[in-house]
Amino acid sequence: MAIEIRNVEKTFGAFTALGGVSLDVRSGELLALLGPSGSGKTTLLRIIAGLDHADAGEVSFDGQDTRDRAARDRQVGFVFQHYALFRHMTVFDNVAFGLRVKRKAERPAEMDIRRRVGQLLDMVQLSHLATRYPSQLSGGQRQRVALARALAIEPKVLLLDEPFGALDAKVRKDLRKWLRHLHDDMNITSIFVTHDQEEALELADRVVVMNHGQIIQVGTPTEVYDTPADSFVFDFLGGVNRLNGIVDKGVARLDGHPVRVDGEVGPEGPALIYVRPHQVELGVAPADGVPEGKWSARVSMVHAAGPVARVELDLSGRALEAQLSRDRLSDLALQVGSWCTVDFRHARVFPARA
Amino acid sequence: MPADPHSRRPAVGEGPLTRVALIGLAILFLAAFLALPLAAVFSQALAKGVGAFIKGLTDPDALQAVKLTLMVAVIAVPLNLVFGVAASWAIAKFQFRGKSLLLALIDLPFSVSPVISGLVYVLLFGLHGTFGPWLRDHGVQIIFAVPGVVLATVFVTFPFVARELIPLMQEQGVEDEEAAIVLGASGWQTFRLVTLPNIRWGLLYGVLLCNARAMGEFGAVSVVSGHIRGKTNTMPLHVEILYNEYNFVAAFAVASLLALLALVTLAAKAALEWRFADQIAAAKR
Ligand SMILES: Nc1ncnc2c1ncn2[C@@H]1O[C@H](COP(=O)(O)OP(=O)(O)OP(=O)(O)O)[C@@H](O)[C@H]1O
Ligand SMILES: [Mg+2]
Repeated sequence: MAIEIRNVEKTFGAFTALGGVSLDVRSGELLALLGPSGSGKTTLLRIIAGLDHADAGEVSFDGQDTRDRAARDRQVGFVFQHYALFRHMTVFDNVAFGLRVKRKAERPAEMDIRRRVGQLLDMVQLSHLATRYPSQLSGGQRQRVALARALAIEPKVLLLDEPFGALDAKVRKDLRKWLRHLHDDMNITSIFVTHDQEEALELADRVVVMNHGQIIQVGTPTEVYDTPADSFVFDFLGGVNRLNGIVDKGVARLDGHPVRVDGEVGPEGPALIYVRPHQVELGVAPADGVPEGKWSARVSMVHAAGPVARVELDLSGRALEAQLSRDRLSDLALQVGSWCTVDFRHARVFPARA
Repeated sequence: MPADPHSRRPAVGEGPLTRVALIGLAILFLAAFLALPLAAVFSQALAKGVGAFIKGLTDPDALQAVKLTLMVAVIAVPLNLVFGVAASWAIAKFQFRGKSLLLALIDLPFSVSPVISGLVYVLLFGLHGTFGPWLRDHGVQIIFAVPGVVLATVFVTFPFVARELIPLMQEQGVEDEEAAIVLGASGWQTFRLVTLPNIRWGLLYGVLLCNARAMGEFGAVSVVSGHIRGKTNTMPLHVEILYNEYNFVAAFAVASLLALLALVTLAAKAALEWRFADQIAAAKR
């Protein structure tokens, strides 16, 4: 099911939680809402589900306005951040809830309910825990119960609020993959909220970056990562070096040397030069000084665990981080205290704010 | 000084002497202020033998007092149950103007002397009260009659259920209810299948306490009842009348029934806590 969101506004008292948000969610896609805490992600999700009402604007499902459709009639699956499992019901009864509360005409027979719940529990690999209570489950198990419960009503849309927020790193990774498969198998439209950029980039078909109640950018993970709309997105997608430079006569300069820039250079004056660590190129410093057009830096730390090595450098008093392969690292034979040349393959320039 | 690892005290806790002293003090206090009077009630009631005790209880006026007390409780407790659930639901789950006023009103019966509560009803419904003449013209008697006793009791007991539930519901939030609604449950289904089970233990405590107070209330009821023997006397009032007539055995016989009620309430509460400890813990989690 496709969801169109048009100019949705929401205020709490004098505070604007959503300031005119528009978004098209395509049928069948897995969409991530990514943004810092308080940016309005949960608020938007709740409005889609019908748990909150927009002050202005509209949300439509497949072209039909949802204004008059109460939350109970929207047929959305919602997975709450803290799962909100019914603590006095067993896992089985939790999953069966959505089927048992259906209006009499639509309610399946108890036998069919049992079969359906059995299938769902198989799918989330929890059949053996059907008679347990939520308090007797681990975090990851609760999360899967919540998912099975939401899927029981065969929703057209699945909304997940920080589905992996409360889980440890290993479980997160596993569940992530599993959710992706589930989404593909179920032929469903899914929106999940996260403030973990890695999760959004890895899992989603498209990423929506939000800040201060606004949508800043919408795009595929590659798009938002490679061509961030502004300095906020650049920052938020993580792992970025920010270097104080200057724009002079249309050329961005760092310590006097010109910097190769993608896109606009922006207005004259102080500027921030953004470079991702893997776009920093290190070279062996020749004995007879630094070649023209290159910077030199001193190595202050080398982290060589994992497939990619991280090198922390001191570039005339600024901290700079570079990522390179382990092979390249050993070619360069970098050690703490040694010198190397620095160049930037890609950089973006944004005006420095006063 | 060499440290002996075995004599180390736990981080929280005192030496054995302090502990014994504290426990002793608590027991002494309980004995002096609770056990002793309780024992006195029963020993006075049985002072002239079981025969006199039973005679005191089976006196028609005493039986009538027991009946009235039970009737008052049967009316007041369900009323407060409904009101308490509705009020705490409204306060805990919704934002609205005048919420703190409602909270203050719920506490009113706690903060006002019961005698004043009774007087308010006399001023409203008494012969010379605001609605007195109108009620008299229509042949309705509230003050010095059973309706007044019921009204006063309802008033005095109405914070019990709400006070027990409000903190519980506030702590639980609205997520469970929202989950139920998104899954397609109606308002009533949500209440019956999700909210009610979540609050059942708090509700039960509230009802137990409310019931104990409804049966034991003296001050407010005393003002509105008129002390008509065999008609508007509840058990506590009957005890007072008998006592003032120096009929000690009968007075304490009825009093022992009230004391028994208190003990049964306590036992029921303890039994529930013991029987359902795990569920209570889960509900509070
Ligand atoms: N019921 C409410 N009353 C008042 N303010 C609210 C309410 N709900 C949300 N807000 C405010 O609206 C803003 C957006 O909240 P929202 O929950 O959508 O943020 P979020 O992006 O989900 O953040 P997080 O990542 O921390 O969950 C926040 O500043 C929050 O304080
Ligand atoms: Mg949130």
